[in-house]
Amino acid sequence: MPQGHIDLYQTTSLRSGKDEGSYSAWDFDTEVEYGITDLLQMSIEVKQHYFDIDGSSELNNDNFYSFGGVAMAAKYRFTSVFKDGYGFAFRPEIGYLTHDDVGGLDQHELFIAPGFIYQKNFLDDTLIFAANAAFELAWGKKPAEEYDHELSFEGGFGLSYRFAPNWFGGLETRFRSEYPDFDLGNHEHTVVFVGPALHYGGEKWWATFQYGYQIWGHGVDEGGSQTYAEETRNETRLKLGLNF
Amino acid sequence: MKKRDFLKCLVTACAVGAISQRARADDFLTLDKAQSTLFPGEKLTAVPITLTADQQKQIQLLSGVRVRSETVNAWKSGNGGWLIVDNVIGKHEFIDFALALTPKGSVKGVEIMSYRETYGREVMNPKWRALFTGKTSGDPVQIDKDIKNISGATLSSVHITDGVRRLLRTWEVALRGK
Repeated sequence: MPQGHIDLYQTTSLRSGKDEGSYSAWDFDTEVEYGITDLLQMSIEVKQHYFDIDGSSELNNDNFYSFGGVAMAAKYRFTSVFKDGYGFAFRPEIGYLTHDDVGGLDQHELFIAPGFIYQKNFLDDTLIFAANAAFELAWGKKPAEEYDHELSFEGGFGLSYRFAPNWFGGLETRFRSEYPDFDLGNHEHTVVFVGPALHYGGEKWWATFQYGYQIWGHGVDEGGSQTYAEETRNETRLKLGLNF
Repeated sequence: MKKRDFLKCLVTACAVGAISQRARADDFLTLDKAQSTLFPGEKLTAVPITLTADQQKQIQLLSGVRVRSETVNAWKSGNGGWLIVDNVIGKHEFIDFALALTPKGSVKGVEIMSYRETYGREVMNPKWRALFTGKTSGDPVQIDKDIKNISGATLSSVHITDGVRRLLRTWEVALRGK
């Protein structure tokens, strides 16, 4: 994003399906990003949730709204994918969360999450490979978790192709792995989502629709090849962007 | 109360999605206008050109840019100059442009005919477009070599530069001598 411009993003996500009962968690993330320079952007984000839970033996069976918290991020681009052959950016994020995103429990979580973004384009920038990876340090996880602090790794990669002017279609994958007490020997869970993505971009706005299915998961004290303590079977996401 | 909070969230999400701005059309240059700007007072004759597979390969090899269409939209002036109308890929849309060449194949001028991208309108700046004037197929015509990159408009400036380089080689391979 060039210097002096503002983008507004609204991401609406539905996380649904657990191993018992009926579970739907809606996430409403509203983010404003500003171009400090052509290479550096800053953003602020407000997170909100709505839960509709029934038949769960561990969560609050109710439907209710909860304010999730706020987060700030910076993004610095080291190389341009259009000019330098590949794009590489550093994206640190910091946030304060007042409710957890699994059951909406009160908490006072502070997190920092440095991350990296890589992009490589092919065929006149019509075929795009993108990957991101970050680690997160979080404090104040109780009472939603049994421990106070946690280390997690999150990332993903995707391939998309411009099949018509304005339209991109592709496949994306996302993984997340969590370790209580910042202890890599203390694995809590790992999950992998895979699914299609469809993107439309116009002059002043764009939209991306994604669906992810949990193809594999492993959680402590959980059997099988999927994990549901903190994750769901499906993740459906619509992100709208407005350019000013 | 709870349902109302949920509705508030949905209204917020929908409101963000509903805001839209009128598309700009003030930068659109018609074919007639491009012709009269680049070849003022001259009469141009359409010359239908269809590139052979060998010519496409040669242009791609010489320019390093993929040839996406076998059709060249070309017009010839009375003194042997050429006008070529082409497009390059923008972030989401095509960027239409017109390239004027002298009878000896050097760039006489570049005009952006349509630009519908969110950012990068700086490529319409006459000073930047003037960097192409006089370039021939023997010049690099590359960003950060003999053409300056526009920070904040990198994709557009790279693709337009690649497009001009491809058309210079197109003249060399398919138009010269016609």
